[in-house]
Amino acid sequence: MADLGSRWTVAQVLALAPDSGSAKSARGLANPRTWSDLGSNESLVWGKCQGSARAPYQVTVDLNEPAFRCTCPSRKFPCKHGLALLLLWSANDGVVADLDTTEPFAADWAADRAARTKSAATGRTPDPEAQAKRLAERESLMSAGIDDFERWLHDIARQGLASVRRQPPGFWDAAGARLVDAQVPGLGERVRAMGSAVHARHDWAPHLLGELGRWYLAVNAWRRRAELDPAAMGDLRALLGWSRRTEEVRSGERLADRWHVVGLSQEEDERLLSQRTWLYGEHTKETVVLLDFAAAGMALTVSHVLGSVVDGEVALYPGGAPRRALFAGDEHKVAQGEGLPGATDVGAALDRAARWQAGNPWLRRVPMALTGMTVVPGDTPLLVDRNGAALTLAPDTDVWQLLALSGGHPIPVFGEWGGERFHPLSAEIDDRLVSV
Amino acid sequence: MSTDWDELLGAALVGTARRGFTVDRLGIPGADGVAAEGAEAQLLAAAALASGYRRAGWVPPVWRGTPAPPAGPDDRPECSPAAAQLLELLLNRTIRIEGGTDLIVLHWLAAARAAGQRPPHPMVVDLLRFGTANTATRAVIRDVLGPRGAWLARFNPAWRWAATVPPEDVVERFATATRADRLALLADLRATEPDFARTLVEDTWDDEQAATRAGLLDTFHIGLSERDEPLLERALDDRAASVRAAAAAMLDRLPGSARAARMAARATALITVGKGLTVELPDEPDAAARRDGVTDHREPGYGRAASWLIQILAATPLSTWDPDLIGDADQEVLTGWTKAALRQRNQEWLAALARHQPGPELIGALTPEVATEILAGQKKLDARFGGLLAAARGPWPAEFSAALINRMRAQKTENVLQLAASALAEHLHPAALAAVEGWLLTLDAERKPARRVLRGLAHALTVRATIDQEFR
Repeated sequence: MADLGSRWTVAQVLALAPDSGSAKSARGLANPRTWSDLGSNESLVWGKCQGSARAPYQVTVDLNEPAFRCTCPSRKFPCKHGLALLLLWSANDGVVADLDTTEPFAADWAADRAARTKSAATGRTPDPEAQAKRLAERESLMSAGIDDFERWLHDIARQGLASVRRQPPGFWDAAGARLVDAQVPGLGERVRAMGSAVHARHDWAPHLLGELGRWYLAVNAWRRRAELDPAAMGDLRALLGWSRRTEEVRSGERLADRWHVVGLSQEEDERLLSQRTWLYGEHTKETVVLLDFAAAGMALTVSHVLGSVVDGEVALYPGGAPRRALFAGDEHKVAQGEGLPGATDVGAALDRAARWQAGNPWLRRVPMALTGMTVVPGDTPLLVDRNGAALTLAPDTDVWQLLALSGGHPIPVFGEWGGERFHPLSAEIDDRLVSV
Repeated sequence: MSTDWDELLGAALVGTARRGFTVDRLGIPGADGVAAEGAEAQLLAAAALASGYRRAGWVPPVWRGTPAPPAGPDDRPECSPAAAQLLELLLNRTIRIEGGTDLIVLHWLAAARAAGQRPPHPMVVDLLRFGTANTATRAVIRDVLGPRGAWLARFNPAWRWAATVPPEDVVERFATATRADRLALLADLRATEPDFARTLVEDTWDDEQAATRAGLLDTFHIGLSERDEPLLERALDDRAASVRAAAAAMLDRLPGSARAARMAARATALITVGKGLTVELPDEPDAAARRDGVTDHREPGYGRAASWLIQILAATPLSTWDPDLIGDADQEVLTGWTKAALRQRNQEWLAALARHQPGPELIGALTPEVATEILAGQKKLDARFGGLLAAARGPWPAEFSAALINRMRAQKTENVLQLAASALAEHLHPAALAAVEGWLLTLDAERKPARRVLRGLAHALTVRATIDQEFR
């Protein structure tokens, strides 16, 4: 059992599941009885799973990315077989043992992958004229959608929030869908989310008024986009949901540092699985966020381990702080961290949040590394710093877990602040970051 | 600013068709320079500006409560990451063991307790939930969770069973809590401070309802000692039959009591030890015997007088007799002695009776060493044997375990395998794994139920071996 540290936890494995159904099926399949030819080495885990077909499925996982390969017909990715294999492996109870010889099907696939990665480096050069035409078409489509959106905002202002609240959910969905059709999906998603927020939140009126203001700001910013500096344009594009090609980002601004993975957050709706990975730079003291998306039912290709420390360069998306980033590709893990770096009290964190929001009014999730936080259970659970400054915990927080971890002692907590709610992602316990 | 915001919000709620709000009404420098044409644009621009200001100026409320005192320190080391992970897999059913995942969880908990290690704090919540659902595991869970679990449980009424009641609150809680809570509280207290617990009962004794008095006495089996005798003796005169019965049942467990001596006098008057045993059935119990708890309750399969005899023997100290007499005893005497041995937890008599006539109750009361020694001496591996096996406590010695599997395999006793599947998974020594796997290899593929049990067994032994290794 000496190598246990290198095997993942169940939570890490299940975090890769494309949906809860897959996680459940994988647990059911994570039973040595249905498996044969199991084994693993430093980078691969393999095994054969007897499914409904006559021949057992050949399942291989490349732990580095992680990447999955299974001969089953499932369109989910990773499929339940891949997850179940990792679960068996993670148990480290001798069922999946480290072996010197790799099963041929696993070795072949790994070799194919290595070859493909090399050939993908040689790309195609696009036609600049066609590109400019496509860009102009897109902008005109967006402008039309945004003009329509502005009229919708005016209608709301004229009718009043009280009467708008009585609209059926389709009112918000339809407006959101029109924005999606106009290639403004980011704004569309925010409009859709308001459909439930106006009923779920007790402070719905100020919340809606604030959002209307920010949406209106987006309409005006779009009209004057020629005057915007690159950072403001970056923030606007992020809000509208006009994505950038990663190659474009990779060739832009970069920042080298020793990055601590301080928080991970996954969200899934019926269309999209998204993961935010918050990084804190030891030297630059910058907080950046990696965003990874996958269509619902698909898996994220990237997963970082909470608390790990990674040396390397990130490529920064244009925008205000905290910046969105992606790893430039040369990063390597150097250590397991010893806690939560850069933590402050609530006052200092709010000051910084205000500065960031002054730069980017559409910033919704503000990262906060807080020190000395006491969990106060109750009908409205709170997180209180040493000065008594109290943040309300988001309703979906597992307060029991947080309380069990802290034992009532003040602890450093990392999380996202937005809409006057704090959503904790990790906590430092005994010099170690633990997911909450 | 806040009044500006309130006015803006008021206008927004009713709509610009009825009430407008212009940007310049916000006392914000430069607000009047914002270009926005029309009432709607004015309101929206004001919302953009004012909400930004409001958000930037947000001040958190100050909490003025007193935080609960933190959990007490726990000096025990945390279990290994592998042990923790195994527990997590068992609790969330990623590892499922045919017929006995919860037994393996119990094995984990017992191993952790024996090793003096604690689970990582993140597992506390899951274990509290597990204990809430599985009442029988609560005692060991409380021990394993230690101060952190007892502390956390105080915040959730569902976890009350795991919470420690601060000593200063015990008297108050005992006086005011619900009946179930009081009994639970008393049971806890009996485990650590039986004399104090008895004092609490004595203080309120005369004011309690009969059902409560009986329930309170039932908790006395925890930490029972001769110091409880005066109260129990007094309770023999209780006006409620249920209380008298509860007191008699407790006194049955105290062979040194005055009542036990009175019963011994009754018993020796009936049984003469000479060349063999001469047994005379008792007459109708007199008032003194009735007071000592002899009732007209019929023992299954016996007549009235034989039932009285069994009751008298069951309450008589076993030191009255010589275990060598067992071979000469009639069935009703054996029944009485068996009850006495179980109640007095007399290992010598339990073992002697089990050797003479093994039954699940006797086997289950014996230490694993003695029980397995008696089981190893059984010639027939039939259904009765399966019942005995299922009753025996663990852990079973390595040699017995492997030999048992090999005997079962040789005699093709798959029904015993299924009858005792849980006990095998729980108590069989991991050294028997090879024997289990060997059987599985040679077992016909059509023997599906037996194969399933054996596979589950092999899995359970593997997991248990890992647990033992992690806590060594």
